[in-house]
This record gives sequence, structure tokens and C-alpha cells, in this order.
Amino acid sequence: MTIEKKLENGKLTLAPSGRLDTNTSPELEAALELEGVTEVVFDFAGVEYISSAGLRVLMTAQKAMMACGGTMCVANPNAMVKDVFDMTGMTGIFTIV
Amino acid sequence: MKRRLLIFGSALAVYAFLMAVAWEIGTRQANRNTEWLLDYAVMDVHDTVAGAIDTMLGHVARTAVRHVGNVPVPLPSERMKAGAKELDIDEVNIVNREGVIIASNDPSFVGTKMAGDPVMGEFMALTNGVTATISQPFRPNALNPQLRAKYLAVAFPGGNGFVQVGLDERRLARMLPEILGYIFDEWLLGKTGCFLCADMETGRLISNPSRHRDEAKTLAETGFNLADAEPYEIMADGKSLGRTFRQRIFGEPCFCRNFIFGGHRFIAVLPQKEFYDTRTVFVSVFAVLLLVVLAAFAIFADRIFRDSDRLKAFYAEDEARREKDMTIAKTIQMAALPVGLPPSPSFRVFAAMQPARDVGGDFYDYFALDSSHVAFLVADVSGKGITAALYMMTAKTLIKDTLLAMRDPAAALTSVNAELCANNPANMFLTAWVGVLDLETGVVSFANAGHNPPVRVKGHDRGGAVEFIPAKSGPVLAFMDGVKYASRSVRLDPGETLFLYTDGVTESIDANGELFGEERLANAVKAVPDPEPHTVCAVVRAAVAAFSNGLPQADDITVLSIRYIAPPRGFSRTFPPTQEGVAEASAYLDEIFAKEDARCGEGAALRLAAMSSKLHIIQDEICSNIVKHSGASGFEIELVMEDDPFGVKMTFIDDGVAYDPLSHALPDTTLPAEKRPIGGLGIMMVKKMATSISYHRTRNHNFLEVTLASPK
Repeated sequence: MTIEKKLENGKLTLAPSGRLDTNTSPELEAALELEGVTEVVFDFAGVEYISSAGLRVLMTAQKAMMACGGTMCVANPNAMVKDVFDMTGMTGIFTIV
Repeated sequence: MKRRLLIFGSALAVYAFLMAVAWEIGTRQANRNTEWLLDYAVMDVHDTVAGAIDTMLGHVARTAVRHVGNVPVPLPSERMKAGAKELDIDEVNIVNREGVIIASNDPSFVGTKMAGDPVMGEFMALTNGVTATISQPFRPNALNPQLRAKYLAVAFPGGNGFVQVGLDERRLARMLPEILGYIFDEWLLGKTGCFLCADMETGRLISNPSRHRDEAKTLAETGFNLADAEPYEIMADGKSLGRTFRQRIFGEPCFCRNFIFGGHRFIAVLPQKEFYDTRTVFVSVFAVLLLVVLAAFAIFADRIFRDSDRLKAFYAEDEARREKDMTIAKTIQMAALPVGLPPSPSFRVFAAMQPARDVGGDFYDYFALDSSHVAFLVADVSGKGITAALYMMTAKTLIKDTLLAMRDPAAALTSVNAELCANNPANMFLTAWVGVLDLETGVVSFANAGHNPPVRVKGHDRGGAVEFIPAKSGPVLAFMDGVKYASRSVRLDPGETLFLYTDGVTESIDANGELFGEERLANAVKAVPDPEPHTVCAVVRAAVAAFSNGLPQADDITVLSIRYIAPPRGFSRTFPPTQEGVAEASAYLDEIFAKEDARCGEGAALRLAAMSSKLHIIQDEICSNIVKHSGASGFEIELVMEDDPFGVKMTFIDDGVAYDPLSHALPDTTLPAEKRPIGGLGIMMVKKMATSISYHRTRNHNFLEVTLASPK
């Protein structure tokens, strides 16, 4: 799994590619450095699927942003990812663009 | 019996009718003959009597001429009276060349001029010296019209006047017996008829056939009834010959004619039997002959009908026997067709044959070559009926034996063809399409001997596409020696179906004479919701039946359908209870999927791709759970891929602590993010994605079974 990471003006953009499962989620979690970040964008255009381990990373980011008054969104999820969001009730929690 | 009565009744009716006709014809002919004979007889008698009188008067007149001295001399009347008396005559006149009576036994006639008189003037022809005698018929006398008289004159030599003598009927009556003598005594009328002549006044017979001489002296004694007899004055006109009437004469029924002449009644008598006997003989002979002919005819007709009945019975019996034979043949033939194979997880086959007549030339066959190859074929023997059926039995056995021995369709057909060509006295031939399905790979290797191309049907969930297998065909079997058949192959994806048929399907005809054809066949197959062999066969047969709409089936209709189903494939591997093990397990799934992609057709690969992410998520959730919580020494994944229906079963086995993930309540997904527990989401996802999921613990192992069916 590769993760493209970009931080500018407190906006952290993470673009992982491949599968987001128990193997790869720790990598995404490691890339999620929220120091001074007020806005997190997960660009999921390259994500094949996501398991609960991946969801946990997203939840962590979401909770952190809510605590500091920042925002988080998931961009360009594929149908499979959207299915998982629906299934787990995340659609109402995450901002999906 | 009824028919026999009819035949003999008809013959009898015809007989009666023909006899009536013959009787009528015979009677008419007899009557005609009678009339003709009587006409002739009356004329004959009349002429004879008249001739006798003329002869007598001529003799008298010539005697007078001689007495006078061959020249007209005015003799005194006394002398003339004496002469008349001597000559026994009523009147005698001497007439000179000028036609004036110069002497007569009646003095009042002297001086009468004959020339110019309408009647007497006729005699003036005697004065030209050519004619010697002139006779006149009886006519009413000028002086006494009641009395008829006849005149005859003989010329003096050189036409120098003539002597005229006259005779009245009264004197004639007296003279007739003498004149006629017994001329009628032996005079036969026909063979049995006779003449009677009787005096008008006394009724005394002056002439009587000699054979009846003693029976009668008078007319009354002959049996002749005057009241019934209409006398005819034949001399009145000399033309009409009178009317025939019936009388009983001498005790015998007779046809009679009578006429009056010279104070006498002349009767021609012809017994009825004269001609009626002939008629009776004719009719009798005819009756006998006709009886013989009709009887012979009736017997003949009766025999013909009896023979025809026997023939009919024979043919009916023969037909029944043939029908029975056909039924038996059909039973034998149908029994020769396979009825099914033990159920196999790798294929399903169905076939049916519907003969046009009791036994057909079509056949099909399917049988296992070994545990992983099944042979199937459809063939059509030329012709129909017993001959085709017998040939079909031979060909079927030969093809099966050869295929079992050689296994390759092309090689088998080449060998079968050589065998059939070597011994083909009836010049039969057959077309065949033979395929062998490899149950491991779905590859059908086949050879075609002039048969219709089969239809390949993809599963409905794979588009339901239909295509004819386009392969160049070899020649028909048993037709040409030395033919080598080419082997071809086509690969069926799991779930795909092949449909084989005979031309009885494509060449079925509707009311307009149109053929069912390949396009209608393709459309019928395409409309099948799920290409199960028996469904495909049933749908095609129904389409053909609807198309021909009750028209008699011209050819055998045979259908065979075989569906390839890949058997379930199982895989399993054990992984260490670490995060690396989870990663390895994920890679293992990818490895299996790649294998399946290579193995299955394009359709199966696509379906697998659609399921792959879910399978990965499930594997990730379950495996990470085991690694984190169970304390197992390792875990095993068992994967079973199924094609029918398409689906994957994953079983996760571990020797960790007993743990049924299904027993835990699902997390509340309606809670806001800050209150949401992270745990439990994985199991929830698995439950929602799985088609079915179950847990059991056996021998200290946890078994979690998750199945995922193909998305519709």
C-alpha cells in the first residue's frame, strides 16, 4: 500500500491506494499526524475496499477533528467502500464528497 | 348373408325383367309374322280365285268367238240366248269394230255403243288388233246394283270387233265349287293353317282341308262364329286385305281373316301356335340360357365378394400384425436409447426422440467414457420405418463400441464409416454429430458427419447468448469409403449448455409450407429462462409443435441437450496466528481467484471479480479477530468454489478458545461518532455481506462457515 500525504495550511490530505485492511490500516494510522491540523481529507480514489480496521482509522480521525473543531471528509470512495459505509452506519457520520 | 340375398334378388329381378322383354318381343314378332302371312295368303287366294274365273270366262268367250265364225255377225237374240244358256253365262254380246253391240242375249242391249263409255270403253282396246283379252273386275251391275257382275271380252281375229261375256255373282256362286274344285283341300297356310270356303246362304263348306273333312260339313261346325267375324269385301278396293280376328276353329285358337267373294266366304285360318310356338320355344331357350348366365354371374359375384371379404380380413389381420410388430419394434428401439446416467455434479444431460411413424431413423446416445469424459451424440438414418430402425440399431451399437474403444470422436467416426461402407446392402446412410465432454475442463471435442450444427447456450445470468457451433462438416456416414473426419473442439464455460437436434426440428413445416429454420430455433432456445437440458428440450419441442400446429409430423424429431457444470473446487491452507498470517491468507485468496480465472470462462471470472472485495473483507475481519482474541496456535481457511449456483464458501477453523462471534449483539450504528465503539463493526459487516453464516465448535475447534452467493 502506498499513501500520498500532503499538508498545507492545517489541511492534511491522505490518498491511500489499494486495500485498507488489518495489514495496511496501521500504515494509514501512522500517516495520520494531526498536529496543527484542522482539516483532514481522505482521498479514496485508489482504495479498493475497506475493512473495519480501516474504518477504525477514519473514526479516530473523525473524533480528533470533532474534538478540536476541525473537519474531516472522505473523497471519491468507490461503490464497495460506500457499501461498507452504509452497512456500518458511517454514511451519517462521515462527510463524503 | 344379406349381401348374398341382395345378389340373388338382383339377379332374379334382372331375370324377370329380361324375360318379360323377351316375351313381349317374341309375341310382337309372332303377331307380325302372322299378319304378314295372312296378308300374303289372302292376296294369294284372291289372285288364284280371280285367275280361275278369268280362265273360265276366257274359255267361254273364245268358244263364242269360234261359234260366231271369227267375225262379228248380228245373230238373232234367240240364237244368242241359246248360246248363253249353253255356255252357262248371264250375258253374251257381239260387238263390232266400232264398239256397237250388234247381237246380245238381251235384245235391249243391241245398238248400245261402248266407245266413250267410262266402263265399257275399256274394251275398245281390243279393236286395235294387239290385245286379245280384256277382263274387268266384279262391279255392281248397272241394272241391279245389289248384284255384282264381271265382264270379259275376247277380240275377233284382227281386232275386228269382240265377244263380251258377263257373269254375275249369283251364277258365280253356283259355279264356284266347280271352278275351285278342291284347290283348298291341301292348301296349307304356313305349316298348320288352312283355307275355308263356305256358301254364304247355306253355310255349306265347298272347300275344307282334307285333314278336317270329317269334322265339319258347314261353317258353323268348324266352330267359326259369324257374329265375331267381320267379313271383308276384298274385291271392293282390291287393296285392303282385311282385319285379323281370333276364332276357335276345329277346337283350336286361330287368327282369321275373311272376305266375301262370289257369294262365298273365304276364311284364312292360321292357328295361334304357328308362330306362338316359335315364340314360346325362343323365350324358353332364352329363359334357360339367361338363367344359366345369371346364375353363373350371381355365383361368380358371390364368390368375388366372398374372396374380397377374405382379402379384407386378411389385410386387416396383416395390418394388425404389422402394427403390433411396429409397436414391439418401437419398444425395442426406445429401449435402446439411454434413459439417463447416474447424477453427476459435472454435467446434466437430457434427450428425447419423437418418431414420425411408429419407428424412426433418428437416435441419440450418451454414455460415460471414463470418470471424467462423457460422450453424447445425435444421428439421423436416411429413411423411416423398420429399415431405418434396424439400421439405426446397428449404427448406434457400432458408434458406441467404437467410441468406447477409441475415445476420440473423429477417429471413431472414421472407423465407423469404414465399417458401415464395407457392408451396406440397403444403401443407407446417416448423419451424426458426436461430442465428448471433458468434465475437468469443459472442453467438448467433436466430429460432425453431415449433421445440423448444435446450438451453444450461455447461462441466462451470462447474457443468455445463443450461437450455432460453426464447424465445417465431414460427409455423411456410410456414403463414401476412406473418409477421414476432422476433430474439433469447443470449450464450454461452467453453466453453458449445448443443444443437439435432427433436421426434424429445423425442417418442421407450418400450414404455409414454411420451414421452422435455424432462426426460430435460436429464438426458442434464447427464450429459455435457465438453459437446463430438459427445459431447453421441452421449450424447443413445444415451439416446433406450436409452429406446425397439428400438421402431421413428417420426420422424426430428436433433441439432446447437455449442460456443463464445473464441480465444486476445494482449497485449504493453514496460517500462523499473526498479522503476517492474516496478510498471507489475503494473498492466498488472490492466488485461488487467479487460478479460478484461468480455469473458468470469462463469465465466471467476471462474477468472481465482483465478489472478490467482499471475500477479502470477510477474510480480513474473521482472521484478524482470531489472531487478536482466540489464542489459537494457527488458523485454517477452507475455500469451496461452486458453479451451480455460482458461489463461494469460506470456512475459518481455529483451535483457540471457544468463541461464537454470532452470539454477540451487533453494535448500535445509530450512535453519534464520539459514542461509537470501534469493536464489533467487523463481525457486523461480515454478517451483512454474507449470504449465510454459521458457527459450530467441534473437537475443540471453532468452525465459522461463511457463504457468499453470486450477486444477481
